[in-house]
Amino acid sequence: MSSTEPSAKPPMPVPDELTQFFWDGVARHELCIQRCQTCGHYIHYPKTICRFCQSRDLAGERVSGKATLYSWTIATQPFHPFWVDKIPYTLATVELVEQPRLMFMSQVIDCPEEELEGGLPLEVAFVEMSSELTLPLFRPARG
Amino acid sequence: MVTGNRVAIVGVGYSTVGRNTGLSPDELMIQATMASLADSGLTVRDIDGITSVGTEPLNDAWMLGIEPLNWWASGLMVPAFAYSALSAIAAVASGFCHTALALRMIQQQPSGASMAAGTAARGNPMVASYFAAAAGDRQFLSPFGAGNPTQWAGLLTQRHMAEFGTTEEQFGHHVIAQRYHASLNDDAIFRDPLTMDEYLASRYVSKPLRILDCDYPVDSGAAVIFTTEERARDLQKPVVLVESYALTAIRDLNFEILEDMVRTAPAESARSLWSRTDLEPSDVDTAHLYDGFSVITFQWLEALGFCPPGGAGPFVEAGNTRLGGSLPVNTDGGACNVGRRHGANFCIEATRQLRGECGERQVEGADVSVWSTAVGPFAGAVLLTRG
Ligand SMILES: [Zn+2]
Repeated sequence: MSSTEPSAKPPMPVPDELTQFFWDGVARHELCIQRCQTCGHYIHYPKTICRFCQSRDLAGERVSGKATLYSWTIATQPFHPFWVDKIPYTLATVELVEQPRLMFMSQVIDCPEEELEGGLPLEVAFVEMSSELTLPLFRPARG
Repeated sequence: MVTGNRVAIVGVGYSTVGRNTGLSPDELMIQATMASLADSGLTVRDIDGITSVGTEPLNDAWMLGIEPLNWWASGLMVPAFAYSALSAIAAVASGFCHTALALRMIQQQPSGASMAAGTAARGNPMVASYFAAAAGDRQFLSPFGAGNPTQWAGLLTQRHMAEFGTTEEQFGHHVIAQRYHASLNDDAIFRDPLTMDEYLASRYVSKPLRILDCDYPVDSGAAVIFTTEERARDLQKPVVLVESYALTAIRDLNFEILEDMVRTAPAESARSLWSRTDLEPSDVDTAHLYDGFSVITFQWLEALGFCPPGGAGPFVEAGNTRLGGSLPVNTDGGACNVGRRHGANFCIEATRQLRGECGERQVEGADVSVWSTAVGPFAGAVLLTRG
């Protein structure tokens, strides 16, 4: 069952013209979110045009990495070989502080299940999931 | 009440339903269509419109020998059978066609085990998208270990619990009530009674979502025939009328980053549904509310006004949704027990309740029923009355 060994490769992101900035940011350990340069709205997932003002002047900008926890679920079943030896892990929808309802899907780490609660302050952490993949995950904010 | 032609349901039918049936989509479609025609007393020559989610309507018409076809529609990222049904209703109401076949064909999805083993993607484009390199929006899900529907359902469930104090036992009461209804339905796959201990001992898929909160993947074909009230009056079965309907989208397709996970498209769908009728929630005798995951039924109970926002847990726990309660819900047993049919089962069960065809699980004096499909970014609902 070679496909279920821990060495299984993660599903790798395929950056495109719209998303290259995001993964370039991750490589620098910076969380970057698309922002409309005309009206200032952050946009996620990235689009080719601003849905608030229809501007095409969009760019990835570094954000603070601070967020609050909106909802979470403990993944107890893997749906890909890479995650077989990593369950359970905590998937989370977090709200980035830069803009109300600017939601981001990630994981929460370094937090016991009983301490998970709505509104929990979080901060980004860059975690090497494999030699090929680093992800922006979130952990309880320190101070 | 709809403008234009008043629309009626005159035939309902299923294909063989089950795991690994070996039936092709064409076979499922033909079986379901023939069953719905037999139920209505119509022949295939009476059909002049087809809408399907899961098959290609032009191929369906060709395979059925329908020529000419006066109207057709299909959808992919839509609220499943609600979309088929609402398309058909609109087509008949407008006069685009006079008798429309609404279809939902489903090929069983692979198990979690086969997905974990990496073998599930073969031959299944939807699942293959989980495995292929994560392009497009999926690059913000798959690399994070997210993107399976059970996981967004876990997020919706957790948020309902966090915001309203809903308990795991309350979801259990819903699951147990549905299983009880299934025990009275010969067509149900799971019919053994279920206890709270068994529910609480069942495994989590994405905590707090348990395997028993999930619909059951099967091969299934379902068909419902819509026509004008005038034509329906000449047919063999009691007439079931479309009283009101709603098809609603509130945002794009990303369930995982919904800004409000407890008031989603069902809330807007319900608002639209009630705005088109003089009937009220208290007039409804049976409700058939989408249960791809337990939390979805809870959202619909609240959205449709059967209980206050956030009140679904106590409402279900008090026994209201069980046969004999104030609002029997999902009297066929729901998709957890009859298998995944993406809302078609609820349209069919609502129809059968209004016709008085449900035997042991019949709700006495059922005159008004509502059924619904989907949650999150999009949803649809239909209010039916006995004609
Ligand atoms: Zn803008």
